[in-house]
Amino acid sequence: MISDARVLQQTTEPAESAAAPSWLSRYGRPLLGVLLPLTLALGWEFLVWRGWSNGRLVPPPSRVFATIVDLARSGELVRHIAATLWRVGLGFAFGVVAGTLLGAISGYWSLARRLLDPTVQALRAIPSLAWVPLFILWLGIFETSKIALIAVGVFFPVYLGVMGAILIVDRKIVEVGRTFRLSGPAMIRRILLPAVLPAYVVSLRVGLGLGWMFVVAAELIGASEGLGYLLLDGQQLGKPAQILAAIVIFAILGKLTDGLIEIAAAPFLRWQDAFGRTTGA
Amino acid sequence: MLALDRVSKTYPNGVQALARFSAEIRQGEIVAIIGGSGCGKSTLLRAIAGLDRASSGTVTLDNEAIAAPHAKIGIIFQEPRLLPWLSVADNIGFGLADGPATERREKVARALERVGLAEKAQAWPRELSGGQAQRVAIARALVPQPEVLLLDEPFSALDAFTRRDLQDHLLDLWADTRPTLILVTHDVDEAVVLADRVLVMRPRPGRLFDQIEINLGRPRDRNAPLFENFKRSVLTSLDRSLDRNVPDRDATQGPGQAMWW
Repeated sequence: MISDARVLQQTTEPAESAAAPSWLSRYGRPLLGVLLPLTLALGWEFLVWRGWSNGRLVPPPSRVFATIVDLARSGELVRHIAATLWRVGLGFAFGVVAGTLLGAISGYWSLARRLLDPTVQALRAIPSLAWVPLFILWLGIFETSKIALIAVGVFFPVYLGVMGAILIVDRKIVEVGRTFRLSGPAMIRRILLPAVLPAYVVSLRVGLGLGWMFVVAAELIGASEGLGYLLLDGQQLGKPAQILAAIVIFAILGKLTDGLIEIAAAPFLRWQDAFGRTTGA
Repeated sequence: MLALDRVSKTYPNGVQALARFSAEIRQGEIVAIIGGSGCGKSTLLRAIAGLDRASSGTVTLDNEAIAAPHAKIGIIFQEPRLLPWLSVADNIGFGLADGPATERREKVARALERVGLAEKAQAWPRELSGGQAQRVAIARALVPQPEVLLLDEPFSALDAFTRRDLQDHLLDLWADTRPTLILVTHDVDEAVVLADRVLVMRPRPGRLFDQIEINLGRPRDRNAPLFENFKRSVLTSLDRSLDRNVPDRDATQGPGQAMWW
């Protein structure tokens, strides 16, 4: 017991000094990342303002911002964002449900894995955009084909993530469950689910990223509303500010939705003994 | 009483790990199993735990055949194997899922107190030292009050000081309910400190070679001359089990041989 107490003292000391970081390292580090894009944006703004460039093909930030404000005022922006969010949300939901179910079956049951996995892997090797003509033929040019395309994009990372996570669950911890005679469902709920959760969250985030990628593809193919439509419209009418505005909004929405997953998962992952925690990243 | 009757285990690749191992272990007895690597001592323990089935022969606890993990049999592994997503308290209560919540909480609190980790109740396993984690594992196995507790080299990953602490602590806990302890170990010192009886196994295929009763009172003084005598006879038996020449007893026992691998 004495040796334990000594070890404890040694480990708490450095933790205390790290718990009170200087003001600069707390707020300065994130600011450092903003420095480069901010300088470039302000520099470009300055060049256009001085008249050294007309900024026609690369509009300065003020003009992009003005475009966003105009779109917002007319109510257009909300309509486009809502359409895109709806597609991503629905496609993501379908992709996650299918990926989770099939991934869990393949991971848990080796016969299903032998049966199912080679086909899924073969399908995964097809570039997903190659499905577009087929989906349009099958499902029409409207919402269904778009949502199907997004769901396909989300499905594969989620499927792989769930299956892989189940396969690498530590046999030793499963054995603990066995020694306490857990039933099948209890084993899944008390051992397997918490064990796969960290990898599952990562696969959801990767899946969501692909969902955002595929919604652009889907909306470029043919849509009358949505952020992807704004992109295409901006290209056809020669409005680069509108294209940049749509890109900026994509970036913001992608980051926000990713953050939502992170925040929702955080309370369940506090136990993790991870590299990221110790470096304060 | 735990009875092992001609327990044998042959793995699918044809290796015979255990051949006709028979022994009877009284309720409340502490038995240490020691032997060279590959002598099947872990295989034997896993068969008693019901984790792996024996190829032939039977394990019976109070006339009940053991073929799967049993509520009266607990096991502690070499690693603590705590569930990293549960707090220390929830880890200790892991085997109590069936009882009413208040009773469970009380039992966990008592166990935490008993292993001296009450202030760590809400800590995560990653925040524990190796010795603390193994104490949690011991508490987790003891809380459901098993009649038989199996220990598979439970202290071999710990430093010498912590190992001694935990050996004493284990005996202290054992005195509460006096379960049968079956301990697999590499450490002759550990076997003689803890056990009423040491079973020496012989490898390829694993079988019982020798039994040595440790007729010492408790608590045991690790430095007593009698203690040294028992250690020496276990070491000699081990050497014989591996067909090594046993040199003149008195000339060769240096301190470095206390740990036998």
